[in-house]
Amino acid sequence: MSEITLDDLSLENVELTPRVLHLRKTYFKAVPEICIERSRLITAFSLQHDLFDHDRISTLDKARMYRFVLENRVPVVYHSKGYEEGMKPFEFSDGSLFAGSTTSKFKGVPLYPEFLALALWPELWTISKRARNPYHITDSEVKHLNSKIFPHWMENTILEYARQRSYEENFEKYGLRKHAPELKLLERLVFFLASKPNCISHTIPDFSKAIGIGLRGIIDEAKRKELETSDISRKEFYRAVSEVLEGIITYSRNLADEAQKLAEDEKDPVRKEELHDIARINRRVPESPAQTLREGLTTVWICWTAIHLENPNVGLSLGRLDQALYDLYRRERDGGTLSVEEAVELISCLWLKIGDHVPSIPDAAEQLFGGTGSNQAITMGGVDADGHDAVNDLTYIMLRATELMKLRDPNPNARYYLGVNSREYLRRLCEINMNTGAIPAIHNDRAVIKALMAKGETIEQARDYGVIGCVEPGSNGRFYGHTAAILLNLTSALELTLFNGRHRHTGLDVLISKETGDPSAFNTFEDLKTAFEEQIRWLVERTTALNNLLGKTHQDFYPTPILSSFFEGPVEKGRDLIRGGAVINSSGVAIIGLADVADSLSAIEKVVFEEKTHSFGDVLIALKKNFWGYESLRTRLMNPDKTPKYGNEDPEADATVSWIVHLLDASFGEKENYRGGKYRVGYWTMTNHAGFGRFMGATPNGRKAHENFTSGITPVSAVTPYLTKALNSVANQPAECLANGVALNMKYTPEPGDRKKMLDNFVASVEGYFDEMDGKRDGGMEVQFIITDHRTLADAVAHSDKYPELLVRVSGYTAYFKDLNPQMQKEIIDRTEYLLSSGRMVEFEPFPLPAERR
Amino acid sequence: MASRMKRIALRPLPYLFTDWVGQLIARLFSRKLMRQFCGEVTDTFVELLLKGMDLAFCLSKGFRKNIRGFEGRYLFQTADGLIVTSATFRKGNMRVHEAAIDDWDVRVTFKDAPALNAFLFSKDQDILDSVLADDVEVDGNMNYVYKFGFMARDLSRRLGVG
Repeated sequence: MSEITLDDLSLENVELTPRVLHLRKTYFKAVPEICIERSRLITAFSLQHDLFDHDRISTLDKARMYRFVLENRVPVVYHSKGYEEGMKPFEFSDGSLFAGSTTSKFKGVPLYPEFLALALWPELWTISKRARNPYHITDSEVKHLNSKIFPHWMENTILEYARQRSYEENFEKYGLRKHAPELKLLERLVFFLASKPNCISHTIPDFSKAIGIGLRGIIDEAKRKELETSDISRKEFYRAVSEVLEGIITYSRNLADEAQKLAEDEKDPVRKEELHDIARINRRVPESPAQTLREGLTTVWICWTAIHLENPNVGLSLGRLDQALYDLYRRERDGGTLSVEEAVELISCLWLKIGDHVPSIPDAAEQLFGGTGSNQAITMGGVDADGHDAVNDLTYIMLRATELMKLRDPNPNARYYLGVNSREYLRRLCEINMNTGAIPAIHNDRAVIKALMAKGETIEQARDYGVIGCVEPGSNGRFYGHTAAILLNLTSALELTLFNGRHRHTGLDVLISKETGDPSAFNTFEDLKTAFEEQIRWLVERTTALNNLLGKTHQDFYPTPILSSFFEGPVEKGRDLIRGGAVINSSGVAIIGLADVADSLSAIEKVVFEEKTHSFGDVLIALKKNFWGYESLRTRLMNPDKTPKYGNEDPEADATVSWIVHLLDASFGEKENYRGGKYRVGYWTMTNHAGFGRFMGATPNGRKAHENFTSGITPVSAVTPYLTKALNSVANQPAECLANGVALNMKYTPEPGDRKKMLDNFVASVEGYFDEMDGKRDGGMEVQFIITDHRTLADAVAHSDKYPELLVRVSGYTAYFKDLNPQMQKEIIDRTEYLLSSGRMVEFEPFPLPAERR
Repeated sequence: MASRMKRIALRPLPYLFTDWVGQLIARLFSRKLMRQFCGEVTDTFVELLLKGMDLAFCLSKGFRKNIRGFEGRYLFQTADGLIVTSATFRKGNMRVHEAAIDDWDVRVTFKDAPALNAFLFSKDQDILDSVLADDVEVDGNMNYVYKFGFMARDLSRRLGVG
């Protein structure tokens, strides 16, 4: 039950302490540094134990490897050196209240040669000089990676294992000497992306057990279960759990020893005491149950760093920390041993620690993922498993830390249950969005819970959801859904439909999928829908086959004993997470280009089949010519008064969206993944709507070649003049088909003149969007905001140095605007901007396309 | 440089001079390649690149470390078959073949020499454009391309044009 004892929910009088201000300043000053520690240690262990020669790597082998890494990595209590822009070194004093870090660097780029780290190989000498998002690396690190680490992994990456596996399977089953065609399609990049070659990730571990009984408690349970079972593989799994948890305990003790040593040499009495505190805490936890908030947070932090040693952090998320840590907080507050100010400081220090690493992204991939952090979502508020208000003091403390820190990671998400959570809470969420310009995202509990229950979760499981990565909901600590397993470019399905199984990017002379007929010969709109449906089903076959191939490869070569130890299910079943150990198993699909495809189909229906003003052949020629000479047709296609547009409460347009959403849910939903679970579909796009847009030709909604697609589930920019209608169109979509989450991106003009009125309207708009209208609709599932106007954003393109901390919502995750590639910056500037005071769209000219794309 | 005699003749040089001198000699013999690095890309680019690498492996101990213990078979070709060049690495040596080889670890098929140049040495995401525009297609183990990409850029760095 909710217990609010704070007098002021906004905690206006609580500010960042000098310690946190200094750390935050240093954090923004430092450029990321490549860290080779993990790669060096796992390569050494693999060589020493001949793991490169194994046909399969057992959970126990992996566990021993991670224990070796944990016990041998350098215990860094605090950092003292970083690099600033221009790769100039600087020194600082790191007074964080938490010891340890994800990498050996202050802001590190960990490398995972098992996955895609080798893609950085060609640019090792130049990566510190690249134009966007450079990483510092020393010459000796380049040489070490080139000669001592990367060569050993050339035949041993997940993608390469999968390639070999597909070849062998094809030969065994069909006598064919070829690899899976899905791999080739993946390489083409314009059809879909898959994240399994890069990570396991995209899930929420369960920290409550580690906090409550300590790792020793989990080890004891694993040992007990090992003795109880005669099954060899289960015995091995339990032994693996003990191995990795012992490794984590040792790492924490090593930090304690190091802190003790530093304390003995420390002259400053205050710092000396702090180091003694770190030594004492890290010696106790995570081995033993946490007794204070700081110990609970240390448990989370140490376990979090260990999880990252195992898995690249791509959307690994922290879950509902305001719930998991609340009892510790309450006990200390009641006992008078913790002030609200101290709690905010602790949370702020943890927030900075969480952002102590960034994913390794090769230059080429910057186009698709540029500016991304690790997308570590954190979830606050909502209801508990019994449906009661779960917003508590710690929720508000975390929100205050979020507001003051304004960081990209963690990615804050707030749950709101209309009618259960208080209006003051929602008001506070909107206020923080106005103050930070972008965070937190707000999720509609009622719609999300309905969506999860439609996929078979119990009401208690669904109510206990946390947000994963960008916006994906999943039952906290028991749901392994790899929610970003497949990123499907829906506009490619449209492309294959329009060009009879061919794609302009791979050449109209090459048949890619199947021939579904020349659209010029279609007599009805139904013919077009049938062809589109067939192309969708073809893509669903390809993507799920690829995901299952990669998943089986993970099962053979990448068991995850650490993540499994912090999950509900694996310990009970005696089975690794990637072998189906979790309570709930599924795989997630993110769809890119929904609004563009829906508006394209609606436009064709109107122009070609209803009004018959143009033939299908004419439309196809116009598309091939990028509307050159067909300006009047383009104007008509783009005009919301002449062709139905999603986002205007137009029944036809909204129905087209619903049809697509149902089609994708049904097509993916019937497929089974490699863990015996089902596929779930969502509509969030990260930066891929800009990345894919860059490579695709003109589309029938009037979008020109190379222009961005629209983000997430958001209507197309500049065709939806009324805010309420835009929100209602999205809220009309069926929640049960959106279980993998949605990102609705809204941009509001800051209205400093009357902040109260703006806030009132802001709150009302969210309530209206979430409203289920007496069961007539499900209500919108999620909404996220940018509260910065187009002029400021355009100025930030021209003068990025003036806006080093400008936060924006991409489509799901949060990013610093300066880090985004030009195409993505344009997309954000061009997003429909509304005035909350009038509910009307602000008219402005689109930002010019980056020069090289014109 | 493909000739065995030349290779034998050049082999002792790195032991007589420092790496810096070896690189200087390589630079003198690689002017055509350096011009191509600087933008004048012609159909001889692949051949010059591979031969330049071969020469640098002979002259520079530092560069030769790249292929210590490395075994790999590369086939580079244009889609129309007008350019076909292969490179094999074995026992610390590189061999360049002016013909296709079988059992390659990776096959790189490119539209033309500028496309391959952009693929290997690009800045600002041309590499992605190359793949998307079907200017370059890679078959086989992509990790071999990454390794080759490093060696090619390492060579251009050592020749002072990277």
